[in-house]
Amino acid sequence: MIQKMAGHINNPLRKRNVIIPRYIAYGIILVIILGMSAHLIVFGTDWKRMSSINEVFETLFSFFPNLKFIPEIAGPLFETTLMAFWGTLLAVILSIPISYLAATTTTPSMLITFPLGRAFIVLSRSTHEIIFALIFVVALGLGPLPGILALACRSVGFMSKTTAEAIEACNQGAIEAIKSTGARKLVQFFFAVVPQVFPIFLGNAIFQFDINIRRAAILGMVGAGGIGLHFSEQMKAYNYDNAGACVFAVVILVILGEVISNRIRTKLIAG
Amino acid sequence: MTNAINTNYQSFKFNQRIRRIIKFGIILGLITFGYWTIIFLDIPIKRMLDMFGPLATMLAERVFPPDLEYASSWKVFISVIETVEMSILGAFYGTLITIPLAWCAAWNITPSREILYPLSRSIIVLCRSLPTLMLGLLLVSLFVFGPFAGILALAIGTIGFAGKLMAEQCEAIDMGPVDAISATGASPLKIFIYAVLPQVKSEWTGIIIYNWDARLRGSTILGFVGAGGIGLHLRHQISILEYHATLGIICIIVILVLFSETLSHFCRKWAR
Repeated sequence: MIQKMAGHINNPLRKRNVIIPRYIAYGIILVIILGMSAHLIVFGTDWKRMSSINEVFETLFSFFPNLKFIPEIAGPLFETTLMAFWGTLLAVILSIPISYLAATTTTPSMLITFPLGRAFIVLSRSTHEIIFALIFVVALGLGPLPGILALACRSVGFMSKTTAEAIEACNQGAIEAIKSTGARKLVQFFFAVVPQVFPIFLGNAIFQFDINIRRAAILGMVGAGGIGLHFSEQMKAYNYDNAGACVFAVVILVILGEVISNRIRTKLIAG
Repeated sequence: MTNAINTNYQSFKFNQRIRRIIKFGIILGLITFGYWTIIFLDIPIKRMLDMFGPLATMLAERVFPPDLEYASSWKVFISVIETVEMSILGAFYGTLITIPLAWCAAWNITPSREILYPLSRSIIVLCRSLPTLMLGLLLVSLFVFGPFAGILALAIGTIGFAGKLMAEQCEAIDMGPVDAISATGASPLKIFIYAVLPQVKSEWTGIIIYNWDARLRGSTILGFVGAGGIGLHLRHQISILEYHATLGIICIIVILVLFSETLSHFCRKWAR
């Protein structure tokens, strides 16, 4: 008993002037979160329109996937995968010049091209793919093409950012060696930087393909092709079992993509 | 002797030629596949190449400049506040569920490797693979129109996103303190609190802040399916073809996300 008390007294984190401000901070955070919950969940949601708990469960069970619908959506599923593939490919191609501009070690001018490259990255990373898809659907009409372009615009930011970071972190000795032969800046980039960065770049591209499958699945909800179009149609028609089948198929596709991309990436890293 | 060297060299040459033919075949196959996918997806290449002129004029005439008067109106401001609140609540409640799940889903410290480990792993994988927007639409039809469905969707997204990262952090800890505390006969919960939590606390704080940042990105668009937040106004303005106001809302979303990204960056630096 005495030892237990002594432990409490000697612990500097248990002193009164430490512990009281900390509990006050926790209390303030808790009050803020409870206030937000009261604002949004208690008053912000229209509870009168919510059905009883039995009806909620009935709706939940009506989402049980109708497996007969899956052969019908095999085509759109394949289309979704292809959209992700082409979007990733375009992003990979676009990210090479942008990462060249946005890396501090290779950019031609810190005043003009570096902020330009960073601005591209920030704009692409902070805009949701749905917004890009909306813009391209308005410009190009329905179909998978606006989806591919939206995916490319969305994933070019991540690809360029990681590649620029890899370029900045790569071994400067190789660059100096090539520089000492009198090579131009572009030649230095291709023969000293690219071989060092390439494995990281390839791994990120595969990772991005995995994420893009997930993104491509919802793009159809604004008319940009793929499985999302069928999903939102079935939801609008209240065919909940068919919509459940769409969700089930997307889950299987995403898990499959994740497993395969993980396999390939571990193989790449291992050599 | 020379004969053997010759045959060796010849077989090497032959192998090299076969390898080259295989490589060529793979590249040819990929190009054919790419061409076939363009036909399969029915992509109008010509329209894509002609797109840039009309896209530029459309952006210049109908979309630009953004309608800042609408974007700074009281209605939009309220929905921005709602979006931020949704992201905080979704991340908070999601994290509350994620902490025990991450504990069970880490192979080295899980309380039961037979039942809880596969169960929590499969929950995390399932939550990871559901796209947030689809989930939002499902939950809106299941519950009510409004922020409650959005918060639930964000919480499920949190389980998938943060659960995996947190479990990975748990698997990377030093097992010495765990062995020391379990040697005193402590229960699994006590081992978790006194041996695991102090080791992963700073990493988990970083993950939680990063997760909030990612949820804010998701919550800006959830209103699109009626699950609360600024996406509802976005959808409304698009459906009545008011592209100036749409661009105003997009500007607000971009500013919001940039702000949250900077904030989370500094918070993560401060927490470390």
